[in-house]
Amino acid sequence: MRGTFRRYRWLVLAALLSGLVIPAQLGAGPVTEIKIGAVYPLTGALASTAKLSKDGIDFAVDIINNRYDLALPLAKSEGLPNLGGAKIRVIFGDTQGSPETGRAETERLITGEKVVAVVGAYQSAVTATASMAAERLGVPFLNPDSTSPTLIQRGFKWFFRATPDDDIMSKNFFDFLKDLEKKKGIKVRTVALVCENTLWGTDVCKFERKYAKEYGYEVVTEMLYPARSTDLTSEVQRLKAARPDVVFMASYISDAILYTQTMKKLDFNTQAILAMDAGHVDPAFLKTVGKDGNYIFSREVFSADLGQRKPIVRIVNDMFKKRYGYDLEGTSARSFTAMFVLADAINRAGSTEPSALRRALLETYLTSDKIIMPWGGVRFDPANGQNVLGRGIIVQIQDLKYWTVWPWHLASRDVIWPMPTWRERK
Amino acid sequence: MILLQSVVNGVLLGLVYALIAAGLSLIFGLMEIVNFAHGQFLMLAMYGAYWLAVLYGVDPLFSLPLWTIVLFLLGVATYWLIIARVLRAPMLAQIFSTFGLGVFLQSLAQFFWSPDFRLVPSPLVKGRIEILGLFVGIPELVASLGAVIAFALLYLFVTRTETGRALQATSEDREAAALVGIDSHRMFALGWGIGLACVGIAGVLLSNFYYIFPEVGFPFALIAYVAVALGGFGSIPGAFVAGIIIGLVEVLSGLLIGPAYKYLFVFLVYLIVVFTRPQGLFGRY
Amino acid sequence: MTQELARRSISENLSRWGKVLLGVILAAFLLGYPFVFTGPFPQHLMIRIFLFAALAQAWNILGGYCGQISLGHAVFFGIGAYTSTILLIYWHLSPWLGMVVGVLLSLVATLLIGYPTFRLAGHYFAIATIAVGEIARVLVTNWPFAGGAVGLYVPLLPEGLRTFEFHTTKVPYYYISLLLLLAVTTTTWFLERSRAGYYFRAIKADPDAARSLGIPIHRYKLLALAISGAFTAMGGTFYAQYVLYIDPESVLPLMLSVIICLVAVLGGVGTLWGPILGALVLIPLSEGTRVYLAGMGGAGRAFDLIVYGALIVLMSVFEPTGLIGLWRRIQRALEVRVSYARLAAARRGEQTVRGPGSQ
Repeated sequence: MRGTFRRYRWLVLAALLSGLVIPAQLGAGPVTEIKIGAVYPLTGALASTAKLSKDGIDFAVDIINNRYDLALPLAKSEGLPNLGGAKIRVIFGDTQGSPETGRAETERLITGEKVVAVVGAYQSAVTATASMAAERLGVPFLNPDSTSPTLIQRGFKWFFRATPDDDIMSKNFFDFLKDLEKKKGIKVRTVALVCENTLWGTDVCKFERKYAKEYGYEVVTEMLYPARSTDLTSEVQRLKAARPDVVFMASYISDAILYTQTMKKLDFNTQAILAMDAGHVDPAFLKTVGKDGNYIFSREVFSADLGQRKPIVRIVNDMFKKRYGYDLEGTSARSFTAMFVLADAINRAGSTEPSALRRALLETYLTSDKIIMPWGGVRFDPANGQNVLGRGIIVQIQDLKYWTVWPWHLASRDVIWPMPTWRERK
Repeated sequence: MILLQSVVNGVLLGLVYALIAAGLSLIFGLMEIVNFAHGQFLMLAMYGAYWLAVLYGVDPLFSLPLWTIVLFLLGVATYWLIIARVLRAPMLAQIFSTFGLGVFLQSLAQFFWSPDFRLVPSPLVKGRIEILGLFVGIPELVASLGAVIAFALLYLFVTRTETGRALQATSEDREAAALVGIDSHRMFALGWGIGLACVGIAGVLLSNFYYIFPEVGFPFALIAYVAVALGGFGSIPGAFVAGIIIGLVEVLSGLLIGPAYKYLFVFLVYLIVVFTRPQGLFGRY
Repeated sequence: MTQELARRSISENLSRWGKVLLGVILAAFLLGYPFVFTGPFPQHLMIRIFLFAALAQAWNILGGYCGQISLGHAVFFGIGAYTSTILLIYWHLSPWLGMVVGVLLSLVATLLIGYPTFRLAGHYFAIATIAVGEIARVLVTNWPFAGGAVGLYVPLLPEGLRTFEFHTTKVPYYYISLLLLLAVTTTTWFLERSRAGYYFRAIKADPDAARSLGIPIHRYKLLALAISGAFTAMGGTFYAQYVLYIDPESVLPLMLSVIICLVAVLGGVGTLWGPILGALVLIPLSEGTRVYLAGMGGAGRAFDLIVYGALIVLMSVFEPTGLIGLWRRIQRALEVRVSYARLAAARRGEQTVRGPGSQ
């Protein structure tokens, strides 16, 4: 008898334990928690950028789940009112920056963790495969931050994108140049295109080339350089030889730092550098290069100084800075906003059922005063899931800060053009 | 002019590559083990210089001796803790013992110091000088001068001192050296110490002008492997020459042919050299 | 000698019926797995295990048996993935035929790569394969026809065995990858027993001696590379059809070559079961550490990789022959116990204990 118990004691123990656990779960009643998946490159070369997204998401979830006196959707209530005050919990998945891992993590979050929607994944190549997983499993995938135009040309049903893409933002640059000519009489004739050679940079170069031609600028050199080079002197040498009026850049953080240092070292001067956000607006950029980063322009989807024209931005940014020690920037602000878009849709759907959620997302209409972004609002194109109200701004680094300089009505400072030469800077 | 400027840049860059490769080559010459954690030790030295500068205001130039010694000790420790145990193991186990160490160190760095990018705040050596219209970054210049000095010392040590000769004897013929009473284990440990001290010097000098993050070592190490094989495994002058060749090839092909292909040419030069001289430029084979 | 002993002891301890039973159980488990574990994640895990076991097994033919350590196998993987995808996109050729063309192209590549590089020895060869791999990656990255850095989306077609695409289920992928693993393992099994396999091992043990014995070592190294490359290319096509998106960063990186090699090494090179064992342990470990440890100390802290790196070091230091070595060590320990038990039994004059297999 004793032997029998010994043999089955684990079984007995397990039975006792499950007896304890199961009633606890049954007693839980209606949904108290809504799980949302977030896939980001939490480890690897882009880990520092992924942390920005994570901070933005965590911060948004706190505002949604708790009571805050803010003019943002769902801030004034605890949790989601239409679901009995259910709270949102975000489960993070690490893509390690790899498309295959990104897809596997998305599948795991959807099927294993039973998340009702997924946000992510920063890198366009990873977003491509991760959203494919969501598409196959029939769960909404909301992308806050991947700007590759190919993503919305796939005819997906479950894919939504809040950010304007590289196509729109490349065009913004040339509109800016034309506006400069009109308003200030600054004439630009030649441009150089410098892009890192992965998916994103290659796409950017393609659109910049297209618009340069359309708007009548001469491209004097176009360079696709290997991302994360140990040395960029030959690239800068080529720029020196080409003597462009303006340099367009698309670089991730490590290359953005190295370019700035190399340009200084080799005394490369030009009228202006127009950067395609990413590396040039990463908080690590200015922290690392310091005043050498001054006068660089970047297209941006967000800037903390928008608070001067839009009070909600100032309030949110002050809270954010107090908690995380740095200003909101494009990446964190976009994931922050995406969480509100998603929470708002879940709340309106009143359920976590996928098709109801998809319908609610398609009916999304957030006006520009309900979001912290400089966009006209959020409304998705039913054909491809793109936010049709998104638009970019252009910022310039002046006195070690990013200032909005274009469009003029959102500008907090005037442009400095041309940028002083390295000799003049001392 | 632009060509000349590129040649200067290429040589300066190449000298740094060479110094990183020297340590690797020394270790290989002694015991035929490739240290696949070399880039991560470079990263550790860079972080070391950074933290001393940030926390205690010690300029990298002054913390250079300290980190050289620390890296030396790390090398000795690595040898006794790990390498000594895999000396007789198959080549693959040797590869992965150091590869695993590299993964471990890199993730440790990310764990403690976060993946953020850092730069030593206003080091003593900064700015640039202009000679006859050629621009040279002072930190780069200091780094390559440091590399040259380190190389000279290393060469003198190996050829002129008793210990250095013992080291050389061990690398030439382990058994014969053992017969004349040279303890090969001690020589190996010394080799690891010196090898990592070299990479320590390179790291600290690099930290004067290069950004620092946990994965910073990998591209440098990859090029260093090519440099070592190009110069001939185990040959210190070989590493020196190969480093400069690679620096020049990288910069010049980037300038003349296109940045997208610059690493392609680095690897191509390696292949061409080893196909015509399978033992590398200076290798004994 | 000890290997021989260990092998004999297995056959001694497991009676024939025991072996058959074990085989049936294993087959039933493998065939039934996707019906027991119906979620995509456990299935994905198993598919990854099969794929990497197959890749490592293919690598093992060259690296394990023939002793030529390649760190550039991603080239063949990339050839397989790109060939079938390009043929599908531009000429609407079935990926199955694409796979065949991929294999043929990889054979051409093995000749081109192997012919010059096999003159190099040891580390020179290993670094040369890295160089070849990196060159291939740069070339494809700058080749617009192959999608360049943007990569290629495999066109979404109606699912089915004919199109090699399955959208609603992973089960067919599961069986295809299992089949791939079986094919390469069977090939290895035959090689082990063939003259070529014997030559491979002779080349690994001592190339000069092998040459003096009259073995055409160059030709046999090429043969090993050809077989190895062909199976790796098949793996590449499978990957492309499974993930439906390829780019140079995912099918041609140096890291892929290293991982393929790592799986084989960790399992035990030059053995039939080593690469499979390696994949069985390493893949769940890397997925598992990512899932369960990534959050420790805050996400983005790479805690999983710390554990991973430390394990690799410990493994290479304490069990350099891989998991197979560990397994044999355990077996030997059991062996000793069994023989002690036998001895004791014999002393007590009782019936001989026949070992665990027959109980």
